[in-house]
Amino acid sequence: MTSHLRVENLSKSFGSSRVLREVSFSVQPGRFLVLLGPSGSGKTTLLRCLAGIERADAGSIHLGDRLLAHGRTHLAPDRRDLAMVFQDYALWPHMSASANVGYALRRRRLAEREAHTRVDAVLDRVGLREHAAQYPHELSGGQQQRVALARALVAEPGLLLFDEPLSNLDADLRERLRVEISTLTRESGATVVYITHDQSEAFALADEIGVLEGGRLVQLGSPEDLYLRPSSPFVAQFTGLAGELTGHAAAASTDQGVSVRTGAGVVLAGSGDAVTAGTALRLLIRPAAVTLVDATELAAEAATGSLTGTVVDTAYRGRGYDHVLELPGGTQLTGVFDRLAHRRGTRVHVHLDPEGCFAFPEPHPSPLSAPAQSPEPVSTRI
Amino acid sequence: MVGTTTVPRPRALSGAGAALRRSGGRGLPALARSLPWLVFGTVLLLPVAGFLLVAVTPRTFSQGDSWFSLDAFRQAFTGWTAHALLDTCLVGVGAAGLATAIATALAWLTERTTVAGRGLWRLLLWALLLAPSYLESLGWTWLVEPQGVLSRMLGHDPAALHGLVFGPLGVIWVLASRGVPFAYLAISALVRGMGREFEDAARTHGASRLAALRLVLPILAPGLWAGFAIVFAESISDYGVAATLAAQANFPLATGAMEQSISTFPAQFPLASAMGWLLIGLVALALLAQRRSLRGRSFAVLSGRTRPAVRIRLSPVGQLLALTGIAVFFAVALGVPAFGAGAASLLPSAGKVNAAGLGLDNFRHVLHSSELLGALGYSARLAAITACAALVFGAVAGRALARRGSGRAGRLLDLLLLAAVALPSVLLASGYIFTYNLPIASRLGLNLYGTTTLLVLGYLAGALPSAARLLSGSLGQVSDSLLWAARAHGRSAVRAWTGAVLPLVAGSLVWTWLIAFCATLLELPVSQLLAPPGNEPLSVAITHQLQGYDIGAGAAMTVLVIAGVLALIATALGTLRLLLPAAHRLEAVA
Repeated sequence: MTSHLRVENLSKSFGSSRVLREVSFSVQPGRFLVLLGPSGSGKTTLLRCLAGIERADAGSIHLGDRLLAHGRTHLAPDRRDLAMVFQDYALWPHMSASANVGYALRRRRLAEREAHTRVDAVLDRVGLREHAAQYPHELSGGQQQRVALARALVAEPGLLLFDEPLSNLDADLRERLRVEISTLTRESGATVVYITHDQSEAFALADEIGVLEGGRLVQLGSPEDLYLRPSSPFVAQFTGLAGELTGHAAAASTDQGVSVRTGAGVVLAGSGDAVTAGTALRLLIRPAAVTLVDATELAAEAATGSLTGTVVDTAYRGRGYDHVLELPGGTQLTGVFDRLAHRRGTRVHVHLDPEGCFAFPEPHPSPLSAPAQSPEPVSTRI
Repeated sequence: MVGTTTVPRPRALSGAGAALRRSGGRGLPALARSLPWLVFGTVLLLPVAGFLLVAVTPRTFSQGDSWFSLDAFRQAFTGWTAHALLDTCLVGVGAAGLATAIATALAWLTERTTVAGRGLWRLLLWALLLAPSYLESLGWTWLVEPQGVLSRMLGHDPAALHGLVFGPLGVIWVLASRGVPFAYLAISALVRGMGREFEDAARTHGASRLAALRLVLPILAPGLWAGFAIVFAESISDYGVAATLAAQANFPLATGAMEQSISTFPAQFPLASAMGWLLIGLVALALLAQRRSLRGRSFAVLSGRTRPAVRIRLSPVGQLLALTGIAVFFAVALGVPAFGAGAASLLPSAGKVNAAGLGLDNFRHVLHSSELLGALGYSARLAAITACAALVFGAVAGRALARRGSGRAGRLLDLLLLAAVALPSVLLASGYIFTYNLPIASRLGLNLYGTTTLLVLGYLAGALPSAARLLSGSLGQVSDSLLWAARAHGRSAVRAWTGAVLPLVAGSLVWTWLIAFCATLLELPVSQLLAPPGNEPLSVAITHQLQGYDIGAGAAMTVLVIAGVLALIATALGTLRLLLPAAHRLEAVA
């Protein structure tokens, strides 16, 4: 049965170290939430609090109508009607694949025949029916993770938790398993919370993404929201940047954005907040916002949104080439894609799409500028 | 277009590495490299092989009329030797089961809970590991025998306790308590390294706390089976208890029976040899059972992301119960025999016990007894020689073992050392007596029978396998690149080794030397069987004191030696800490 997950003001400390700081969010039944954050951001602790493995210091967790944790109430993991896929699979080594999967059915107290049927069906679904009698060490890494996935799915829990399940796999396998996780979990209809530090994995899987920074949930929204409207430089950086420039607002911001005068030229960028002329700004640029234009094709060197740079490195990526560019002032833009290769040392024009450029006021304003405001975290509830 | 020309990089470093490797002697053929180990095997282990052949072909060694016969085995399976074999099996299984159960509980408490005094309990386990089994037997004997400490304190013979200790239960208990450290070492590493994912996975998939524990315990199977097999093998091979507690209890054991077969006149070598076969067979059976129980399954529990297990916080009542259980175990395993030895050493040899009777007379007697002091000096000298030899050969063998994947020589060495580990000491000593007493040994110029050299060889054969195993761990972890880096930066071979490798392995070297020294100083079976006429090793002198009913002197000598050994260990480790702080830190980490 799918359930609505609600987390309110969840906090957790280990000794003097605060790992979670009043985290609140909710996930609608059957939705797939990815919690994205770097190491130490608190995502694993948050997931373990949801599982009941860790006890939160404050706040509450509800799953559907049931209170899982609040104050002194702490429902044991086995009574939470959830399942979890662990990063290193945590398959019990002395049990075969089918026994591992079948173990999760015990709480359902099914007849042995029905349990067998369900185990066989779920192993079949993950493509491992012929490996049912094998022990974990006889399976490859991908097969082990499929067993772990089958174990999580078999009892049809209301909440499915994933602890970076793909991080131990190679790139090809990771992509195939990602598709399977996406398909199977949606088929099951369970509410899913999935943690990862990989932004591409997060964007590919999620209905919603929550970004964690230092134990705080700094932004929650759809993948598109996060990509197009990052609430802070941290979110923008963590969801993929080509590079960063600093400068000042050439004029006050308008509905179209703000013109930023940088060492490399003038760039038009989006801005969440109104900024006044002269405000010191950080300009963050998405790789997809950068287009290379051959010098012969574009004469308007000084045009807004167009800079010049030098190709520092070129890497063949199959569909085309990734370039590293150096702009005047020494700033580098990485991951700049073009179907054609540009030789190292070539001078190129760089066109910047304002939709992929974000201006944030500098936290410490320079004496020339007006006091800058910290951007407010964007919270997009779905 | 992008330039794609590739330029070969200079290979100076790899060239230097190759030169260094060549200077390391890797070019030697495998046979030449294995020659020292063939010599080692011939001198130390071949005599045992010869001795074992007597059981099936007595005429070859002038021990009977048949070229091939199984009479010795038939004889072993009848009468008192059959009784001894059956007792040995029962004692082995009982001690192994008990030790494994206690060790599992101890490992769980010290590695998974917040039980107080964890460091102290581990230290006491080491003390239990280092003390020879016959000392614990003697402690109990001094305490409960008819004219023992308790009898004299209470004024009457504690018959019930006497009956309990001098019987199968007493023997099983002493062997089990001696086996607990071995089983603990096998199990605790697994409990510590298991992480908590398996429990977490069980809990999140519906298992209660108890169900999760039931699920996780079988994952410890390798440790449990290893612990059981080690304690079983140690128990059935043990001679110290067979020669003391079991002998006094008229409870014959196989090792005691073997020794008696050789000590009687005429010596019954074929019978002793047949019993040797049977002992080896039992050890092999235990190891085979361990292998079969784990066949087809992997129990790898460590991964790069293993999350350290969080200790269970014990409630005050839980803490009290756990501490009581642990304290009772150590009190009975260590405290009671230590009290027996301590009390016996402070009491006069006869008469009723009272406070005024306590004194240091026994210690004065020992310190003025040329017999006991001579035995101490003799054993200390031999123990030091054995420990040094075991350290040098053990380091070389350990390094070869750590690289055993490299070829046949390593595998041969591994096999030799494994065989030496599995051999009961009493069988080893019997083999030496038999083989070096053969006329052919004399004709070959090996006039070792009845010499101190043979005794040292016997000690070395016992100490070397464990020394090599201990050192193979730490030496195997030292990457060659550390040494090559020092050499490549201008250090000579010796300075490179002392500067780059020694600090990393010094702790292990010191521990290996100490373990070999302590084990040899108080070693009983080899001493008993191979001591040359006119020279009495320490353990033999102490047991002679007991047999001569000078209990006080024997106990005082034991107390003095144990105190001396503890002082030596403290001094050695303190010096190590002072001179090589890095080595100490690394040991602490290990």
